[in-house]
Amino acid sequence: MSESIKLGLFTYDIKNGLGLIGYNVDEHEHAHIIVETSKCNDCSHMMCVWGCPAQCYNFRDQGLKEMKFQYEDCVECGTCYIMCDQGAVSWNHPRGGFGITYSQG
Amino acid sequence: MDDETDFDVIIIGAGFAGAATAFQLLKEGIEGDRILVVDRGEPIGSKNLTGGILWGRELDDFEEFLGNWEMDCPGIERCINHKKVGFLSNEDALFVEGRFASWDGTGGTDEPSQRSSWSVLRAKADAWMAEKMEEAGIFVMGGMKIDQLHIDGLDHSSYDARDLTDPAEDSGTGSAQKWKVDNLPKELVDKIRNGTIAGIVQDGDVMTSKAVVIAEGSNSVITRAYHFDSMLHAQSKDDMLLGVKEVIHLGKERIDERFNCFAGDDERPPSGMAMELALSLYRDMSHEAWEKYPNTKGLYPRCGGFFYTNRDTVSCGIIVQLKSLPEGLHTYDLYQAFKSQPAIAALIEGGEAIEYGGHLCPEYGLHRMPHRFTRDGAVVVGDAAGLVFANGMQIQGMNNALHSGKLAGKAIAACIANGDLSANALDATYTKSLKASYIFRDLKRFEPATKFLNNPANFTWVPELVGKTANRVFREIGEEKVPAEKVLRQVRKEMRAENKANKKGMGLFGMLKLALMGRKL
Repeated sequence: MSESIKLGLFTYDIKNGLGLIGYNVDEHEHAHIIVETSKCNDCSHMMCVWGCPAQCYNFRDQGLKEMKFQYEDCVECGTCYIMCDQGAVSWNHPRGGFGITYSQG
Repeated sequence: MDDETDFDVIIIGAGFAGAATAFQLLKEGIEGDRILVVDRGEPIGSKNLTGGILWGRELDDFEEFLGNWEMDCPGIERCINHKKVGFLSNEDALFVEGRFASWDGTGGTDEPSQRSSWSVLRAKADAWMAEKMEEAGIFVMGGMKIDQLHIDGLDHSSYDARDLTDPAEDSGTGSAQKWKVDNLPKELVDKIRNGTIAGIVQDGDVMTSKAVVIAEGSNSVITRAYHFDSMLHAQSKDDMLLGVKEVIHLGKERIDERFNCFAGDDERPPSGMAMELALSLYRDMSHEAWEKYPNTKGLYPRCGGFFYTNRDTVSCGIIVQLKSLPEGLHTYDLYQAFKSQPAIAALIEGGEAIEYGGHLCPEYGLHRMPHRFTRDGAVVVGDAAGLVFANGMQIQGMNNALHSGKLAGKAIAACIANGDLSANALDATYTKSLKASYIFRDLKRFEPATKFLNNPANFTWVPELVGKTANRVFREIGEEKVPAEKVLRQVRKEMRAENKANKKGMGLFGMLKLALMGRKL
């Protein structure tokens, strides 16, 4: 651990973290967030990628040429909608009963 | 009482603000079966997340419904009598620690001796509160997301809920962004924004009420869609914080032991520790990020760390100002850095993370409140109204949510009795009492604190300077002792020599200015 502190590099095991959360995932046609990924190509900052605490947005940081968005792991915080200034994110809460279910909160 | 409407009051959101409104309405004499509380969580509480600490004894006012909430509510975890604040840098940690007998109600001091702060887990607390609402005769419906508000005389199928918040197809970018709602017919938009709110729409069905209470929380889609908020369609990253946290299971005995907690008995809840920290953990990470993404060069993430003991778990997380996030750093990696700091790692050693999560927290202050708290037939309460107090030492929202809910309940009951639920009538009661309450007085008094808090110094060199100085002052390595002041000057000199970014910030004038601002906390 002390070595990584000197490097200043830290990587949270986000896949593991998300695995701790309960979800009732809705069907694709009812996805609560819709991202017009073609608008992401001209985006210079990818702030959705950096802000999202659930790694729902994957793009150049992962070596991808195109924005890849998936709503399934969303924790419904709303950060991406705030961070996006490209007009690419359409955001609403999932339908009642669907989406994240915290048991601790 | 006439039954022209389905309900007297419909409350959107069964969090603390919504529940307080409902209970207060009961106390004011509104019948339980004339109050509907809807929540999108199924079970209720499953959408909610907090750090978090509940301050004050607002819940006492609802004793007739909640009984001994301190002992009985599963999400009210431990009574905090042990508070730590501190500075954390990569290697050093300096805490100021207080243990207060009067905070757990056993003190014989001059201070009012009563318990007044609790660690809270909202998924559990909200579920319990919803049960209590039902027991009191209130209609509570979980798993129900409200699509639209019902506007008097407007066919709700004439527009789609998403039309109000979506960017336009040809949206443009940056501050010149365009929104779909601007392309809707003017007359329609005027009705949506200024008509009388008369109920809710869900799955195409209308439920009518004399008043609607919007208690939807910090991610306030309805508040913005229906234009309580200013012209912002999305909230601005300038005044939003993102909290990222884990709930880590350590077991009750281990927590009692590790944090010196009172185990609890038949009369007193278990005691606990709450810790809030200024972090300067991100300099190396930021420098690395700048190299890859020079766009945000110079930006350090402004993060606070928090650590709270629950009954058999701890809540461990960070809260980051969204506008301070540089490109190249994931918010969850910022959390990892906090969790890996040796002082924090020691506290969670042997623990197992059982839940991860993220949640927004408004930090509006007075400068960016919603431009109105009422409309004809509706009010906004709690986090949705941005009623959160943050001064760096603490973030308080839950007590404000409860208090604003009470004020809304009182106001609406009075307005129903007078048969006038116009925005003017609601302003004369709800908004007026809100502005006279401690919520607004706190916000006003501590407004200068925001400036101090946003100063990058607090998230870069200040914690490091304090930590290094304390390290040398406290340590004895067989050398001649040096006065603390001299150590401080020496550390400052070294840090300035080591890092160019500190050159300007750590000038004597800069430090003096910062200290003067800090007095206002």
